[in-house]
Amino acid sequence: MLIKETELPGIGKKFQIETRSGDKMVIVVHDDGRREIYHFDSNDPEESISMVTLDDAEARRVAGILGGMAYVPKALETVEMALDDMVFEWYKVEKDAQAIGKTIGDLEIRKKTGAAIIAIIKKDEKVLNPGPEEIITPGATIVVLGDRKQVKACKELILHGGI
Amino acid sequence: MPEQVLLEIGLALAIVAFAGILAARFRVSIVPLLILAGMVVGPHAPVIGILDFRFIKSAPLIDFMGRVGILFLLFSLGLEFSVGRLLKAGRSILVGGSIYMAINFTLGMVLPIIWGWPLRETLVVAGLISISSSAIVAKVLVDLKRTARPETEMILGLMLFQDVFVAVYLSIISGLVLTGSASPASVLKSTSLALGFMLGLILAGRKLAPLINRLLNVPFDEVFMLIVFAFLTLVAGFSETIHVAEAIGALLVGLILAETDHLDRIEHIVVPFRDFFGALFFFSFGLSIDPLTLGGAVGPVLTAVAATLTGNFLAGILAGRMAGYSYRGCTNIGLTITPRGEFSIILANLAKTGGLLPVLQPFAALYVLLMAILGPLLTKESKWIYNQLAHIFGWPAWKEINKPDRTI
Repeated sequence: MLIKETELPGIGKKFQIETRSGDKMVIVVHDDGRREIYHFDSNDPEESISMVTLDDAEARRVAGILGGMAYVPKALETVEMALDDMVFEWYKVEKDAQAIGKTIGDLEIRKKTGAAIIAIIKKDEKVLNPGPEEIITPGATIVVLGDRKQVKACKELILHGGI
Repeated sequence: MPEQVLLEIGLALAIVAFAGILAARFRVSIVPLLILAGMVVGPHAPVIGILDFRFIKSAPLIDFMGRVGILFLLFSLGLEFSVGRLLKAGRSILVGGSIYMAINFTLGMVLPIIWGWPLRETLVVAGLISISSSAIVAKVLVDLKRTARPETEMILGLMLFQDVFVAVYLSIISGLVLTGSASPASVLKSTSLALGFMLGLILAGRKLAPLINRLLNVPFDEVFMLIVFAFLTLVAGFSETIHVAEAIGALLVGLILAETDHLDRIEHIVVPFRDFFGALFFFSFGLSIDPLTLGGAVGPVLTAVAATLTGNFLAGILAGRMAGYSYRGCTNIGLTITPRGEFSIILANLAKTGGLLPVLQPFAALYVLLMAILGPLLTKESKWIYNQLAHIFGWPAWKEINKPDRTI
């Protein structure tokens, strides 16, 4: 993704964004807090196809939705409540994560982070309550249980191979 | 007869507010409406029975608030303005801005010379014709939802370039006009005094920056505001006593305070004051115009309007093409930069204070009225204008794409 930042003196700041899918969009942040999002015709970089105006509060909510902070699936919500400050999190292992090829035991996940991996969902199999010999594979979805800090540490451990 | 000053001011504000409502309703710039409103209720308006709408008792007060408006307009310009920003904007802006100034300033000089106006009047008219209203331009861009378009950067860059020009030009002109003498020696003296004052104040501001920073380091918004406004008014008032336009003083205070750590906080408190007193500035300018004198200015104004539109369009196309924009973008540039407003009126006010030809007032009023209405209107219709020109010059057609019409 390509982002170009320009100042618009007297108005605010402009961010030109070109996504990997070839979409062109421009976000203008006005000094009064308003945000405008323009979507440009990918064949004609001068013609905007549509635009949306948001006030500051709306923009922040949209940012939350885009950032994945706002959406919690219904099923998880109830579980989270029942477990008080414990959280489940579905975490997808990225292709370049450092932990790939290592086992849960090698990584010492529970010892180092306090979180527990309670399931690993691979393309063709689901492993419930995986043992220390289970290998982390790219693209697998890992279900982590712990408090928020522990879950975060666990995700970091998988991504960087250490904390 | 009881003193009715407060009621008169209230009425004036109601009229200004009404002009604002109309402007928002019909999506036009508020500037021409404020000037018109002022002219309609000015001291020259007829008295209909007991309905006397003339602001007699409050006139000096409204006049004063208009002056405060100039201070705030120029102060916030100074806050925004930075040479660093201009240099960052790049070579295309410097080249484009020079082209723009060369074309429009020449036109602005030639016309009054043809009319046989004296030197100082000619210089005032040249400035009045060549400097766009950055306030109206920015508003038009936002209102027409054009902020995201590529050429907007160039348009705002040109405004920035003009702001630099305004600062220097105002100082030279104020030296020339306010001292009232036309002998080369005294002109040189007053101009160098104005420039020296500017440079001295900027240097002093640099040196004193840490001190000002500490002075402004107060937690209470109220005290903070008082310090800033006291500084602004003191410097502006002092400038006036040494025959440097108060506007220059205000601009300088803006420049100095822009270098402090409190820039954001100052900008935040200044904006509402600028908007309020700025509106009264345009209104009070309208008040000072006798509608009956407008007739004498019609001829020169129409010539000037035609020249400005042509000159700006030409400059927009040249500057835009050199910076690599499409003809469509260039058309937008050439049309968007046409509105005239605050600076033209500041120059006209300066001419009045300096006792120049009285025709300058109605000239500026009529000129700004037309340009402030025509500019945004032409900008809005840029697509139609482009298509007509594309026919003539063989530019690529403006492709229609299928989309719901989201522009106004």
